[in-house]
Amino acid sequence: HSPLYNLLYSAWLSLVPSFSAMPSYKLTYFPVRARAEVARQLFYLAGVPFEDVRVPHADWPALKPKTPFGQMPLLEVDGKPLPQSYAINRYLAKEFGFAGKSPFEAAWVDAIADQFKDYNIELRPLFLVLMGFAQGDKDQLLKDVGIPARDKFFGILEKLAKDNGNNGHFVGSSLTWADLLIADHVKTVSIHLPSFLDGFPTVLDTVKKIESTPKLKEWIEKRPDTKF
Amino acid sequence: MPTYKLSYFEGQGLGEVSRQLLHLSETPFEDDRISQEDWPKRKDSMPFAKLPVLFVDGKPLPQSLAIARYLANQFGFAGKTPFESAWVDALGDQFKDYFSEMVPYFMALGGDNEEEKSRLQLEVAEPAINKFFSILEKRAKDNGSNGHFVGDSLTWIDIHISDHMGVGEKYFPNAYAAFPTVLALREGTVSLPKLKEWIEKRPVTPY
Repeated sequence: HSPLYNLLYSAWLSLVPSFSAMPSYKLTYFPVRARAEVARQLFYLAGVPFEDVRVPHADWPALKPKTPFGQMPLLEVDGKPLPQSYAINRYLAKEFGFAGKSPFEAAWVDAIADQFKDYNIELRPLFLVLMGFAQGDKDQLLKDVGIPARDKFFGILEKLAKDNGNNGHFVGSSLTWADLLIADHVKTVSIHLPSFLDGFPTVLDTVKKIESTPKLKEWIEKRPDTKF
Repeated sequence: MPTYKLSYFEGQGLGEVSRQLLHLSETPFEDDRISQEDWPKRKDSMPFAKLPVLFVDGKPLPQSLAIARYLANQFGFAGKTPFESAWVDALGDQFKDYFSEMVPYFMALGGDNEEEKSRLQLEVAEPAINKFFSILEKRAKDNGSNGHFVGDSLTWIDIHISDHMGVGEKYFPNAYAAFPTVLALREGTVSLPKLKEWIEKRPVTPY
């Protein structure tokens, strides 16, 4: 080949993303949204292919001892396992640019996610009954557990969204995995407790804006439909 | 350099890992210890009405793991690659899960019902410790028994677990006897000169 050809070819190679250098990704979880949905959304938003493995509940016991913590979701990057949903979410978010624009912003994304986790722990007795995993008095649990937990956490979110200028994000001015986490939860709540979050209009508005992100909207329309 | 203030209760608990990161990196900070009496007055000034909170040039950051990770990233205690950092995070989250399982036991320790303490130690603490520390033991071994849970340098999870074990042993002697690699990791961590120095001079608190 001529020197010009070689020069042009090298220039082209340096500009084209090297797909052979991209790791292979596999995400393994139950056939629900819950703790794997944010990771799935991050892959889709980034346009990165991944193996979306959904394990039927009956198949889980055999798989469990093969996982590092006996739990799912599990991410495998070139076959190397990484457990714990938030570690997975943060890792992918950092790789793909959904972790905030500064270290302090990224830390606030983490803080909101951990506060959401605390809220979920408080909400758990109610949610187990709503999902049909436990017996209980739904109305009593709503009053004793659901409403206090909601008011505490969504009060925080409402203020964060307002203080952030109602710009469609809970932190900063770009989509982060905390936005995705909250939006997916709001979706699940709207299925099971339709008017539960009516007292938090800025949060609901923020979630609407998040869900209208084009690639996310596309994913939501085509993903398997699950109750949680 | 930014100014740092760490606000937490008087004990080790969920704030000590961050104090230790600041000491290890020789970063000056205000160690703002809030008594139980003063907490109601201070609560509303904290973003999530909880402690710890880190103030960086006066801007607050809540949630203990977010704070620890932020400081660890600033000072080089968060692993050497993104995947290593993610494994440190995974262990941190597994610790958080274990900690929340232990809460009924911790609450009983705060009271004086000895029967309840014994019962919860057997029914709650032992299974939770067994589950989590088995993971840690395997992790420490698989990592080459090199004194670290992840990679080959000190990370915030080495610091956090080591500190927690010191508190646990006050109430449950030999709680971790079945986990020798983890015990060795802890010994290595707390004997690091700058950490040893801090541990020797810090206020002694019940937890």
